[in-house]
Amino acid sequence: MDGSVRLEEVVMRFGDFTAIDETSLAIGSGEFFSFLGPSGCGKTTLLNIVSGFLTPSAGQVYIGGAPMAGVPVNRRPTAMIFQNLALFPLMMVFENIEFGLEVRGIDRRTRRETAERLLALVALEGVGPRRVTELSGGQKQRVAIARALAVEPRVLLLDEPLSALDLKLRQHMRSELKAIQRKTGITFIYITHDQGEALTMSDRVAVMSAGRLQQVADPMTLYRQPATGFVAAFVGENNRLEGRVIDRQGERVRLDAGALGELMGRTGPEVTLANGTPAALYVRPEQLRPVEGQAAAPTLVARVEAVSFEGAWVMVATRLEGSGEVLRVQLGNEVSRRYADALTPGQRLTLGFDPADAVVLPLDGSPRLDAATGEVVAGADA
Amino acid sequence: MLRQLSARFGGPLAAAILVLLGIWLIVMVTLPQLQMIDYSLRPNLLPDQRGGLEDGWTLANYATLFANDIHRTIFFKTLWSSVLVTLLTLAVSYPLAWYLAKVATPRQAALCILLLIIPFWINEILRTYSWFIILAFRGPLNEVLMMLGLIDRPIRFLSGDAGVMVGMVYAYILFMVFPVYNAIESLDDNQVRAARDLGAGTLRTHRRIVIPHAKPGIATGCIMTFMLAAGSYAVPALLGSPGSRWFTQIIYNWFFEGGNWNQGAAYAFLLLVLCIGFMSLVMRIFRVGLGDIAK
Amino acid sequence: MSSRTLMALALRGYVVVFFAYLFLPLAIMAAATFNDSRFPTVTPWDGTTLRWFGELAADGAMWQALGNSLLVAAGVLLLAVPIGIATALFLNSVSSRAKPFLYALILSPLLTPGVIIGISTLIFWRQWGVGGGVFLTVLGQATFIAAYVMLMVTARLQRFDRTLERAALDLGASPWQAFRRILLPFLKPAILSAAVIAFLQSFENYNTTLFVVGYDTTLTVYIASKVRTGLTPAVNALGLILILVTVLLAVAYEVKRRREAVAPPR
Repeated sequence: MDGSVRLEEVVMRFGDFTAIDETSLAIGSGEFFSFLGPSGCGKTTLLNIVSGFLTPSAGQVYIGGAPMAGVPVNRRPTAMIFQNLALFPLMMVFENIEFGLEVRGIDRRTRRETAERLLALVALEGVGPRRVTELSGGQKQRVAIARALAVEPRVLLLDEPLSALDLKLRQHMRSELKAIQRKTGITFIYITHDQGEALTMSDRVAVMSAGRLQQVADPMTLYRQPATGFVAAFVGENNRLEGRVIDRQGERVRLDAGALGELMGRTGPEVTLANGTPAALYVRPEQLRPVEGQAAAPTLVARVEAVSFEGAWVMVATRLEGSGEVLRVQLGNEVSRRYADALTPGQRLTLGFDPADAVVLPLDGSPRLDAATGEVVAGADA
Repeated sequence: MLRQLSARFGGPLAAAILVLLGIWLIVMVTLPQLQMIDYSLRPNLLPDQRGGLEDGWTLANYATLFANDIHRTIFFKTLWSSVLVTLLTLAVSYPLAWYLAKVATPRQAALCILLLIIPFWINEILRTYSWFIILAFRGPLNEVLMMLGLIDRPIRFLSGDAGVMVGMVYAYILFMVFPVYNAIESLDDNQVRAARDLGAGTLRTHRRIVIPHAKPGIATGCIMTFMLAAGSYAVPALLGSPGSRWFTQIIYNWFFEGGNWNQGAAYAFLLLVLCIGFMSLVMRIFRVGLGDIAK
Repeated sequence: MSSRTLMALALRGYVVVFFAYLFLPLAIMAAATFNDSRFPTVTPWDGTTLRWFGELAADGAMWQALGNSLLVAAGVLLLAVPIGIATALFLNSVSSRAKPFLYALILSPLLTPGVIIGISTLIFWRQWGVGGGVFLTVLGQATFIAAYVMLMVTARLQRFDRTLERAALDLGASPWQAFRRILLPFLKPAILSAAVIAFLQSFENYNTTLFVVGYDTTLTVYIASKVRTGLTPAVNALGLILILVTVLLAVAYEVKRRREAVAPPR
């Protein structure tokens, strides 16, 4: 059973608005693949194109190698878990799960056996005769999964299915979903704006913004080697410092950051950074730490503005003396205890980082995020 | 349209929907109305004169109304009386709608609405007929008034327009109560409280807060009541006398006694124009659209 | 006593008077049924009798009219309910620039006096050689009753979550299966209510019916003609029976509706 999905130069326009810019992508059979992006980035549109609810303006979708043009929703080997689950409220649990088999004309006995088996898979034995309206949020979630699996899809499409659950249950369902995916071997395509969900469950993640794929990679790569400024800002937290390229030696790049002096970071082999061009250095809060005396690598001098205790760590908001920009620093409990005196508002702090942990990217015109709210604020860097 | 429908329901069902809608809107609604207007613009001819020299469009049937003093008087009487019925019905209904929506407890309101719905379900003819008994020359109303010593001899209630109007208010009141009630019900209680808190008296609260909010409901009630009153045949037929004829009765006579359908069609169209005119006027005064009315 | 409490008292008093006004006429009509007088009245009271029920039962024309009324109502149900549902589905699914115009056209039968609907139906069908009778009465009544059905079905349709239809399609259902298994069961309560209302509207209609009924009399037309000519308390007996049946229906319908409003249908 080939559950691979391939998008070939898919474009989706609604009138003048381009929801999906030319996109090509291959998802392997049995892969847990996520689309991650802020709302309005086009990820749901993409899911609807795969499921057949939308016909792309151009391009082609292949599932299991077969082109899907002209194949209507109800003939595609996909099944969707809807954001609101869309369980049929007038039917009981059994009827919901059996619906897909019923419309295929499968006999009652076989249907019931399948339903029982799937209820066991999602650990819900015995709720079959209940009404779906009587179930808890987590139970409904499982019924929705069982209902989708009943039609033996090659690809399961999940449209932010956990967003309605509360925090604890959401985290529990993550491991549950991952376990079901492993047991069934079905390709999962998962849509979310929650990077925690995408990073913990997925084999690979596609970060989307403004109708474009920003980067497709496994979670670790995405976090450590963001390919665009958008990914650097959207996945995890990042401090962004602008400058101009002085020179580049292999992966190592030196930047002239004006008042902040010279900074150093790392970049990927595929990135072009000509000397003298504007670039940004991204350094994550947890990579920064206080340094004493003369350090080998460049350092940043900042003044502490606020300290917030987050339990496992301390988040320090500082302001750079050179440029007046905000720099956020995350310190483990041990370090923060050692520097307790320095971590009071108004104190001066010298911060350093390993250049291997900082990423340099060209100012490439990709969308930007507001650091405070996490919303996309601009389509392009100036 | 077919595309959107068949995307949702599939071809056969989409086609069935369009066929049913087409039969209704074209064969049952539009064409009969157009045919009626066409009739009203043609002279009343014998079958063998059809297609002859005299068969052409003319406004003669409309001129009849203005040439005939009695018919003209009845037309305008119907107009004014229907306006009066509408205003009376509104005046009687508003306090009740207010009570149901904002004063009564939910239990009281539920009971009252059930009590309102029951007569609403009862035949209009029977509701009118009950007033026929009350207003009769030797009926209970005259008896009570005489017993109280308010009158010396019975009054002929059933020989003037007053009886007809009383019957109409009674027959159509629920078409006013429900829209007004629904509209007031949707008003946020806090707005009323805030108005009171700011020192507005009862009248001012209603004039400035409740009535402006209830406008769509009031407009709907007025349009429905006027249309029912002006178009009523049952009430004037039962409660009126030959001296207090209604315009609908003139129309009926053209069809079934005068045998002049063309003339009748012209009068019917004038009645329709009257109702449309009133509706447009109310919609303009209250600044509401068709979408508000159908709620 | 403050003016506000006085107002509140006056309002309560008004409500009592209002309901008396609503029910007293019906009560008087009912009472007149049992008065042993040749003319329907309660004053003077000439003794109590049940003979008017007997006279009513012996009235063949009345039974004939009742039969016609039921026939017409059945025809109206068959025509107006499908049209009303179809129109509601149409309005709910289609977005088009012509929609406001169509919507006005769809509502127009509700805002047109009943006599005019009757007249236009009568005139239109004359050219096809169809005269007044049960058939035209069905057509005339269905013209505006379909709009009532449409409003009631639309009200429920607006609360439908269309994701459910998408889910059904996604699970492999054809559009017809999705309609049949998902949307139609959801609409069922509203369709049943609409059918009850349509039946009653048809049964009691007078203004439209009068013009299209021809020589086939319906019960309502029969009552009206009785009131004007040959009035006896037998009319009251008929009225009383109709009122009782209607009240029973109305209460049953309301109770069912309220129960459904509280708990979702099982």
